[in-house]
Amino acid sequence: MDLGLVIYALNLAAIYALMAIGISILWSSVGIINMAHGATFAVSGYAALIVTGLLKPVIAAAFGKTALASIVMASAIVGSALVAGAICGAVIYLVAFLPIHDKPNFPVRALIITLGLNIATVQGLLWIFGPRNQGLPKIFGFGRWEIWGAKIRYDQAGTILGAILIMALMLAWLRFSRKGLEVRAMMQNAEGAAYSGISRQRTALPVLMLTGALAGMAAALLSQTIFVSPTAGVIPLVKGLTIALLGGLGSVPGALAGAVLVGFLEAIVGAIPILGQRYVLFSTFLFVIAVLIIRPRGIGGLLDDTRE
Amino acid sequence: MPELLEVRQLSAGYGPLRVLHEIDLIVSQGERVGLVGLNGHGKTTLIRALTHMAGWQQGSIKLDGAEVGGTRSQGAGRRTPGLVKRGIGVAPQGDAIFPGLSVRRHLECGAHSRVAWRERRRRIDRILDIFPPLRPLQNAVVGKLSGGERRMVSIGRMLMTEARLYLVDEPSLGLAPKISQRVMEALWNLPVDGAMIIAEQNVALLSGKVDRLMGMHAGRMRGDVGHVELA
Repeated sequence: MDLGLVIYALNLAAIYALMAIGISILWSSVGIINMAHGATFAVSGYAALIVTGLLKPVIAAAFGKTALASIVMASAIVGSALVAGAICGAVIYLVAFLPIHDKPNFPVRALIITLGLNIATVQGLLWIFGPRNQGLPKIFGFGRWEIWGAKIRYDQAGTILGAILIMALMLAWLRFSRKGLEVRAMMQNAEGAAYSGISRQRTALPVLMLTGALAGMAAALLSQTIFVSPTAGVIPLVKGLTIALLGGLGSVPGALAGAVLVGFLEAIVGAIPILGQRYVLFSTFLFVIAVLIIRPRGIGGLLDDTRE
Repeated sequence: MPELLEVRQLSAGYGPLRVLHEIDLIVSQGERVGLVGLNGHGKTTLIRALTHMAGWQQGSIKLDGAEVGGTRSQGAGRRTPGLVKRGIGVAPQGDAIFPGLSVRRHLECGAHSRVAWRERRRRIDRILDIFPPLRPLQNAVVGKLSGGERRMVSIGRMLMTEARLYLVDEPSLGLAPKISQRVMEALWNLPVDGAMIIAEQNVALLSGKVDRLMGMHAGRMRGDVGHVELA
């Protein structure tokens, strides 16, 4: 396998992991299968588009064409996507969690509401921005490095490193902060958490905002490779959901491993001449289905022997 | 003695099923109350209803004179964290442990977030004194512990709340006699500033140790059944 293929696979894995980890954490701690995760993704992309559109003349006036200008632009893109994702999370909290969280069949109701939110948001974006694909300014600039004969584009390297950085930050928060401890407790045993005084109402908001921000980050990074469009969130949502399932919903290491597996699978299938890109989705789903038949609770249990 | 808990006409159940029928129960400060009865006669449901964990419930529950029951309540678990913060600590049946956390982190969960870290550390130290077998296991993952150790971790988490009313559901369930003896011993040695209700099938473990033994039958309170009758 050449290095270029590995980089491409890791690039896919980084985006998938950002989506899948968010979906997985949200399901196991709050109990929502968030179908609006795709909408969050798309909205974050547009937020970055609008903010950069507004800031472009300001940045150009202030910094000219210096390196500083591109750094400011990059942080504007990432920052606005993160903030927009978190705001989407807060909206989902207000619409799909607060009014129904103590009603019977909450997971099904939440699924339906978030699905509705997703469809409405995509239609709203179509209405406002039209179906046209739009490009964001490149955060990492154009160009490539050559390492051992393989060409690595800046945006690929940046996506992988950016995703690793943001996931490391989030995992550190889960691991070392008090709120993170409460979230992990809730993921592992909701009843025990309630008896420990950990309230789902209080914890749901930060979790929704955080997972929303992860989707926002995924949008900012993926828009370096493809475009911003109203339906841009559909594929990341579908892939994120299936990978979260593959990892065993609720297992962060499982989702991470699932993302890497699927990333490599897609890169390899895409590179095999007789299969190629058109068989990528097919083989992904075939793989996920096969794994779930053999291990109905996903691959999470293999990595984490204390999961119940 | 001041009344810590006053339960009036408490009924509760799951879905269409009514398990508890008009329970009345008064627990005073400093009291240890044993709750006895056969399987399926409502001990666990009473413990759950006291913390709003039953499927539905109605009736009055007063903690320190303040109403925490509400006349009718649905949505199991919604008000439980609030009640825990107001001073009810629970060691539920089946332990409800967090399998992936270390013993120390597990205990830490019990003290709610407003408790400062210094205070949390003091409480953890106190619990490790109460359950010495946990001391060498502080960094072990709870999911890998034995049943007895899990029970200690679960009761320890309850004690971390430093609540005024402790509810302990079947502390001896599934444990070897020697280990359940040890767990019970730890419970008896606790200083009781508040009160404790222990639901337990094994009457022999309770007799002589609790101030009152309340019998439950078919979801109704049978009153003080005395020590002799059951022993």
